[in-house]
Parts: sequence; C-alpha cells; structure tokens
Amino acid sequence: MTAPSPPSLLDELPGDLMIWVLIISELLVFGAGLAAFLSVRLTDPSGFAEAQSHLHRTGAALNTIVLITSGYLAALALRFRMAGRRGAARLALAGAAVLGAVFLVIKGAEYADKAAQGITYDTHPFFMFYYLLTGFHVAHVIAGIVVILLVMWRDSVDNIEMGAAFWHMVDLIWVLLFPIVYLLA
Amino acid sequence: MSAARPDTLARAWLALIGLSGLSAVVAAAIGHGFDGRVAGGIVLLLALLKARIILSAYLGLSAAPAWRRGFNAVLGAYMLVALGLYLLPAL
Repeated sequence: MTAPSPPSLLDELPGDLMIWVLIISELLVFGAGLAAFLSVRLTDPSGFAEAQSHLHRTGAALNTIVLITSGYLAALALRFRMAGRRGAARLALAGAAVLGAVFLVIKGAEYADKAAQGITYDTHPFFMFYYLLTGFHVAHVIAGIVVILLVMWRDSVDNIEMGAAFWHMVDLIWVLLFPIVYLLA
Repeated sequence: MSAARPDTLARAWLALIGLSGLSAVVAAAIGHGFDGRVAGGIVLLLALLKARIILSAYLGLSAAPAWRRGFNAVLGAYMLVALGLYLLPAL
C-alpha cells in the first residue's frame, strides 16, 4: 500500500484554480502596462504632470468607493449563498451589478469631459496610457457585470464564488491603477 | 474560496474606505506644499495595503497563508519598482 501523497500547494488556493490563473495573468498585464506608463513618464515628467491635471480625481476617488463597496456586496453574496440564503445572495449580487453600472456612468462622464476638452489618445502620451489602461479596465467592468448577472441566474455556490472572484479581480486592478494614473503627479 | 464572516467582510470594507480616503487626503496635500515624493510613497503604500486586504478578505487568501505571503511579496516588490520609477526624475 502506498502512502497518500502530501497535499499540493495548489490545493490551498481558495476556489477554482483557473480563476487564479486569470487573476495572476490580469495582474501581470496591468502591471506591465502601469510599469510602461511610469517608464515613459521618465522622458517627460512635467508633461505627464500637466496632462494629469486634466483628470477628475474626485470622480475617480468616488469610483474607488463604488467598486470597493460593490466588491463587498459580491463577497457578502457568496457568504449568503453558502448559508443557503439564495434571495439575499441574489439581492447582494444585484447591488454589486448596479454599483458596477454606476462606475461605468461616472467613467463615461469622465471620458465625455475629456472629449469636450478636445483631449484624445494622441493629445499626449499620458492620455494614450490613460485611455488604454482605464479603457481596458472598463472592458473588465462590463465583463464583470455580465458575469455577475449570469451567476445571479445560475446561482450555485461554485458559480457565485467564481463570479465574485472575477469581480474582486476588477476591484484589485483598480486600487493599483487609480493611484498610479490619477494621483502620482 | 472560503466565504469570510460578514463582520470580517465589513471590517475589510471599512478599512478599504478609510485607506481610500487617506489616499485622497495625501494626494490633495501635494497641492498645498506637502512633498510630492513623500506623498507618492505614502499613496503607493496605501494602495499596497488595499490590495492586500482585497486578496486576503475578499478573495479568501487569509485561508491560504503561503499564497498570501507570495502575493504580498510580489506586490510589495512591484510597488517598490513603481516607487523607484516615480522618484527617478526627482533624483
């Protein structure tokens, strides 16, 4: 009789392994993008600071609160579903999705303001990165809302766990992106 | 992904809100004479703390200490690189 093999480190990871592969991949992609942003900034720090002054920090800070709260609701939804409270879980997920939509509205207003000022991606290299990084993040928010709506419908514990993890990844990326793009003058 | 207790989640949420508010205050202080290099370091440190809370409380890595240490170490190293790139023009 062979001895049982020791548990793998991978077994310790909470949830599905593939969502962690996705989380790490996304962190690497955004991490590379933000590092490139900071590297290009070295060539024109005053130009980057001037360009950054056109951003709406208050709106972006508000969006941080919105996403953090949305993530809290997604985490609560999993807790509720594991306790068998399906209605409460769906309600929490609906709240998370609505806050995701609020994030998009605020971001849309920010983009509209830039357009009104005649600012486009080729106005300055800062804005190329700004649109690239925040736009890619917005795409993840949209995908996250769709995922949350899907797991509201197919509300098994595993599905909600996966959907919430995707949403937390979107949250995680934003808390790293926001200070580097909006706050580091 | 183990579901954290609601009070744990609420504490994490409150901590994230508080850290975000602190980031905004520090960033705003730059325009009022506060050293931008110090402020940048504080802002990145606060971002690192927020990322750690999301990983630990929201994503459940509190139940996987080895992974949590690994993520924290890599994120900490990344923030140091980001801080270095941020401070380089001021040197």
